[in-house]
Amino acid sequence: MNSEKLYSIISKVLGVHPSEISDQSGPETIERWDSFNSLVLVDELESEFKIKFSVAEITDVKNVADIKRHLKNHGISFS
Amino acid sequence: MEEKLSYYINRAKTLEVKQHEKVIRVAVLSSFTLNGLEETLRVKCDELNVNCITFVSGYNQYNQEIFNEKGKLYEFNPDITFLILDVRDILDRAFYAPYSYTVEERKQLIARKISELENLIGTFIQNSKSKLVLSNSKSPGYSPYGIVETKTDYGIYNMITDFNSRLAEHIRNQNSVFLYDFNAFVNRFGDNNVFDYRQFFIGDIRISFDFIPALANDLIGYVKPLLGLNKKCIVLDLDNTLWGGIIGEDGFEGISLGDTSPGNAFVEFQQRIFSLWKRGIILAINSKNNPDDALQVIKKHPAMILHEEHFAAMKINWNDKISNFKELADELNIGLSSMVFIDDDPVNREMVKTQLPEVLVLDLPNDPSQYAKCLIELNDFNILSVTEEDLDRGKMYFEQKQRTEFEKSVTNLDDFLKQLDIKIKIKNADEFTIPRISQLTLKTNQFNLTTRRYQEEDIRRFTNDKNMIVGCAQVEDKFGDNGITGVFIIKKDNETWEIDTFLLSCRVMGRGVENGILGYVLEKAKGSGAKFVKCQYVPTKKNIPCQTFLEDSGFDKKENEWIFDLNNVVKLPKHLTVKTE
Repeated sequence: MNSEKLYSIISKVLGVHPSEISDQSGPETIERWDSFNSLVLVDELESEFKIKFSVAEITDVKNVADIKRHLKNHGISFS
Repeated sequence: MEEKLSYYINRAKTLEVKQHEKVIRVAVLSSFTLNGLEETLRVKCDELNVNCITFVSGYNQYNQEIFNEKGKLYEFNPDITFLILDVRDILDRAFYAPYSYTVEERKQLIARKISELENLIGTFIQNSKSKLVLSNSKSPGYSPYGIVETKTDYGIYNMITDFNSRLAEHIRNQNSVFLYDFNAFVNRFGDNNVFDYRQFFIGDIRISFDFIPALANDLIGYVKPLLGLNKKCIVLDLDNTLWGGIIGEDGFEGISLGDTSPGNAFVEFQQRIFSLWKRGIILAINSKNNPDDALQVIKKHPAMILHEEHFAAMKINWNDKISNFKELADELNIGLSSMVFIDDDPVNREMVKTQLPEVLVLDLPNDPSQYAKCLIELNDFNILSVTEEDLDRGKMYFEQKQRTEFEKSVTNLDDFLKQLDIKIKIKNADEFTIPRISQLTLKTNQFNLTTRRYQEEDIRRFTNDKNMIVGCAQVEDKFGDNGITGVFIIKKDNETWEIDTFLLSCRVMGRGVENGILGYVLEKAKGSGAKFVKCQYVPTKKNIPCQTFLEDSGFDKKENEWIFDLNNVVKLPKHLTVKTE
């Protein structure tokens, strides 16, 4: 459920099909994943999951797995 | 409802290149990262059927761009340029430590910043015909002096208010420069929302993503009047729109309108509409109602802010709203695309949206307490300069209504015209009339022989050209002053005068005024020794009313031009007088 939400946001912001997204997806594999879009992504995730990331969390993200890890710390679970 | 920034960014990527009739070239300069604004502007312009071509300066490159005469900014040749500055750049180190400087030094700092910007503005004007929209500064929002800040001589808050007012003063008389009140924007949304520390630290973003769409909306407020997309008329429903309840069912005493809730929301809404009327927006009514019931409220209800004299036209009947709309457009002689429709009934709104897509239909919220807010959020009534005609428009339309009634009471047209007692005053273009002359060339569609659109700067340039004449006509009659309603622009050659522009506001069409003004031009050409006056008729979708004007006035067609031989007699209408000032 949360996984679907996450993938659909990534897909919307970064313009990739959800099926192309994996835990390893990151700026190297997704063309539009630049520093600006990563902030847009943060903005979307925060309003969807009603949380706030810290700057440390935001700058630490290197791939989708990192996003999941930080979301878990904010109480969002992935099955 | 405003969309989020990500919507605009994605939408911008899939925006097809469409061949819209209108095009705007927009340059965005700023002292910090303003990503997403360019995309949002393009999408919002596309929604208005405008092709928006953009140029965004590099990060904090605005000085270089403006001072580089051969640079990319001027090569891009923008129509409008937005320069957004941030308080941190204006105050520099004084932003954090204002009180490491003496009062004198603080004053000097602001004086220096103002002079830098004046220089920047001056350079820009010299190099570009673009409008320049420059932001003022938001308040710093915090002072290390805390509660005694406001007791401090030329403190940090004071520095910024002084900066803003000096900038405003400098710009006030520069016709191509506008000050965008960014401070008011921040007031509206709150600095704690607009400024996001995380985005600031990560990307030097000073306006948070969530507020970029709202900022773009404000900026589009400048684009609309530049392209003539601004609205001139509000068409109002009555029941549950101007008052609460239904007059036919609830009765004169049963409707909600007054000092207390829920009636006060409607009073507030009417106050906002009234203030737009005062600014020159025309009001009209389109309501399904028993006219006697509705008029009783308009004429007699003690809490009504809007009265009969504020409405240029009223359609209160049981006809469908669409045909009422068409009649209103005819009666007021303005296009449907200049109209905004306000109605609480979503079914009516949907009907107008689908059948009259040119009309802007306001998505009125269900709760009347939100009506006033919804209205003042519109950015569609902007004009680039307020002329006297704008301020008097409401009165003029009321006089027009009386004229029409007089016309109905007189049986033949000649008698009507004679009794109107029309006086035309011809004036040369000067600082007072240039804004109105430009405005008329930009918005006159029907009686306009060549439909050439000119900004104020163009008119000013023509005025300084000794081979050109820019004139205008003020028209008065027994019912009042119609203001400046006619414009002519002439290019002089030894033997031939060419009419570049000849137009008449629809307000005074059909009363011989056009013949009076043309007669004046021909006489003047003759007097100066010219032999011919030539003019083109450039047909458009809308200028059919003047299709036969040149022919009727004795011009002969040669190829695609119309020529008047000044050996011929110049006929002047007898029912009016033409004087020069």
